[in-house]
Amino acid sequence: MKILAVCGFGVGSSMILKMTIQKALNELNVKGDVVNSDISDVKSQNADAIFTSPDFVNDLKKRVNTPLYPVKKYSDLEEVKGQVEKFLKDQD
Amino acid sequence: MPHIKKKHMQIVDSSESYEDAIALAAKPLLDDDYITEDYIDQMLESIEKFGTYIVLADEFALPHARPSEAVKKTGMSLLVVKNGVDLKNNDVKLFIVLAAKDSTTHTEVLQSLASFLMEKQNIKDVINAERVDDIETILEKRLK
Repeated sequence: MKILAVCGFGVGSSMILKMTIQKALNELNVKGDVVNSDISDVKSQNADAIFTSPDFVNDLKKRVNTPLYPVKKYSDLEEVKGQVEKFLKDQD
Repeated sequence: MPHIKKKHMQIVDSSESYEDAIALAAKPLLDDDYITEDYIDQMLESIEKFGTYIVLADEFALPHARPSEAVKKTGMSLLVVKNGVDLKNNDVKLFIVLAAKDSTTHTEVLQSLASFLMEKQNIKDVINAERVDDIETILEKRLK
């Protein structure tokens, strides 16, 4: 399982989001790879899910078929955990 | 690990706008030649271009732009705005400016910052600190 954490530059915020997703996966006892990327590099990355800001969702929808999970606050563990749970449920 | 230096921390009561707050937050890095004026413009432009996801948690924002020639040295600075300032419908009281010279050297710092930010109480404690010395103590203890 591979989750992509996406922000505008792929250097700051997406790294923070990646850490929050990893923490959420740990707390849910789920194994998975989390990789961070900038918005322009998304297409070259194969992933099972993309976590990103609601501002990017519409743009990405047009470009990729990967399921998108919007996250408003990248450091909000409860919000991220909720979206991870939704993703896991969608996988079933 | 290159943490936030005490001389790069500031506490103010209020700020006119988020643009002012970000410029003020970045000023210590500008004065110490970590960044040029361009970097401040780039941080503000990125909010226009990409939106407000730099508001990573309630009351917290991480203004930054992509690594560029406008960054001479990787560093971070911190500003507390006691009364908060509106960043496009988000009330922000704590700003940490991230200036990264390249996309790898600051990874370790960001990882520890990520863990720090996930504990909401940490953000509250920094915002409620009366002096920068207290902020330094909080970060020394909890930003690992």
